Amino acid sequence: MVAYEIFQLVVFPGALFVICLAFLYEWVDRKLFARVQGRYGPLYTGPAGILQPVADFLKLISKEDIVPRVCDANLFFAVPVMYAALPLTALFIMPIAAPEALISFEGDLIFILFSFGLMTLLIFLAGWSSMSRFSAIGSVRSALQMLSYEIPLGLVLVCPAIAARSLSVSGIVQWQAAIAMWGAALQPIGLAVVMVCMLAELELVPFDIPEAETEIVAGWRTEFTGRRLALFRMGRDLEMVLVSALVVSLYLGGAQQLWLIPAAAMFVVKTAAVVAAFSFARALFARFRIDQMIAGMWKYMLPIAAAQVVLVQMGLGA
Amino acid sequence: MGYASTIKVPFGPQHPALKEPEHFLFEVDGDTVVGVTPRIGYVHRGIEKALELSTYGHGIYLAERVCGICTIAHTCCYAQAIEELMGIDVPPRANYIRMIMSELERLHSHSLWVGLVAHEAGFDTLFMYAWRDREAILNLFQELTGGRVLHAINTLGGVRRDISSEMADRIRRTLEHFEGRAREYLRIVRTEPTFLRRTRDVGVLKPADAARLNAVGPTLRASGIKGDVRRDDPYAAYDEMPFNVITSDSCDVFGRTEVRAEEMVESIGIIRHALEHLPEGVFRVRAPRNVPAGECVSRVEAPRGEDMHYARSNGTAKPDRYKIRAPTLANIPALCKMLVGIHVADIPIILAGIDPCFSCMDRMVFIRSGGATGRAR
Repeated sequence: MVAYEIFQLVVFPGALFVICLAFLYEWVDRKLFARVQGRYGPLYTGPAGILQPVADFLKLISKEDIVPRVCDANLFFAVPVMYAALPLTALFIMPIAAPEALISFEGDLIFILFSFGLMTLLIFLAGWSSMSRFSAIGSVRSALQMLSYEIPLGLVLVCPAIAARSLSVSGIVQWQAAIAMWGAALQPIGLAVVMVCMLAELELVPFDIPEAETEIVAGWRTEFTGRRLALFRMGRDLEMVLVSALVVSLYLGGAQQLWLIPAAAMFVVKTAAVVAAFSFARALFARFRIDQMIAGMWKYMLPIAAAQVVLVQMGLGA
Repeated sequence: MGYASTIKVPFGPQHPALKEPEHFLFEVDGDTVVGVTPRIGYVHRGIEKALELSTYGHGIYLAERVCGICTIAHTCCYAQAIEELMGIDVPPRANYIRMIMSELERLHSHSLWVGLVAHEAGFDTLFMYAWRDREAILNLFQELTGGRVLHAINTLGGVRRDISSEMADRIRRTLEHFEGRAREYLRIVRTEPTFLRRTRDVGVLKPADAARLNAVGPTLRASGIKGDVRRDDPYAAYDEMPFNVITSDSCDVFGRTEVRAEEMVESIGIIRHALEHLPEGVFRVRAPRNVPAGECVSRVEAPRGEDMHYARSNGTAKPDRYKIRAPTLANIPALCKMLVGIHVADIPIILAGIDPCFSCMDRMVFIRSGGATGRAR
């Protein structure tokens, strides 16, 4: 029994499965993004280039390790590890193979929100510790960006919890199973707000302001190379899995069995669809300027999010 | 206690927004640029000196290499200057072919630029689309001249290759496809809301400033001034072509995008008309080896604006003095005007807005102390 639990944590649906998903979704994202732009995308490593993210990861791991002389060494070493570990930890709370997650407690939704805030803090520290002006601008932009999307995101994520009368992600999935309805059907406004805010959380176009390539090189990641960059990229991929898992769990029914299709397969299909939606969205827009983005979030997203809360409180969509 | 209220942010010579090395030192107050100092000259290649050391026939190959994108504009300008000094008349068919090639070059340069400016705004999809469609023009160049980038089609006394009727058909077919794409870009840049937000009222250049600071090309026309060498001082066969000089009154990066996208459609019209009325006859006359003493200024409208060449001959086989003023150099003062009072995040898109080509413009100036002769190279 203990052996099975360890297997669950380490292999399926725990760490190893999630990391494989992270690499798979990076491929889905790159491939779809490329196809929208009329390119091929990854093509040679594995069938249709499916192993390209793994190859990139291995290549970066084997690269020379460059540490800027003036950086804050402790932070510079610690942040990449924490950046990869944090979304991995948070993913244990997501129901992947069954409507009940590996770890679930009343209030884990708040932990997820907290971990999103922590991710941004880590990004800020990463930029700050590398002591480069591009990194500093990137990290300040990232923190500024968080101040704008965090509040509508938090407001809107509370709505499924109110409706399900549970602050646990697993509880919300089980509530959707019980009423045989998706959260998206009940709270479409909430889903839209979450998708927009998550584009900002993942720093995707039109909100890739903290790493705007043509303005500030690679933003807060500029000074990171080799294995540290590999960890950041994996952290980003894991965050993509976390975000799509959260959207799926709160709005798209989560990991529920459908006739003979196992819950894990449904989860993968649904999250892949969310990832596809993100990569499609990021192909369609130009990048906002930071002031435009913050003004837009406060002017439009916040009232819409508040409206969703009011609707749920009035009993609509609950 | 005194902290400086502004910080100095260097931009270049190595920066992802600059495709070529050039340096701008920005004085930034918070997020607002309050001053800018350009420092040019990083890619000086001594082309003018090389031109003075080579024969006239040789020089055309050097003129071709002033710029990778405006090769035809520079060779046209060079050939015009030297032909005027030689006193030879270019056959009408050659003039038409030069004009067709110039307009094809404008198409490929403008679609390259639309892609670049979209990339600066973070709109990579339009970048990929524009560069994919530009391939059609490059392939056409390969079929017409044998080279995708350097074409070696202009020569002293005419052009080196004719455009056959089959080739004319092929150009027409490519243009038919390309026209749809150009109109599509025009629709995208006019309607895509995120792109409009990044380009409207960004990098404003008032008409009075544009005229005073001597802006050229699409940068000038986007400020509402009808300035175009093709219309003001027609060369090749432009006086026989019906076309509109496109202007825009918005005076910002959006205007520059709109002007270029519309110019693509105009260029397609010019090429079609020229192919229709291509005169019969020879396309090349023999040019003498030596050039009588004299001097001459020649102007063409390159895709980036007015390109000016000056030649002075002394009766030998080599020019005594040759001077090239590439359009980007003329736009630098106007660029510095645009860059003041903007957000730091808008710097790349404004820089890209003038379609800079730094290696074409870099010249050296010798100033001898004590003497009055400033000699520009």
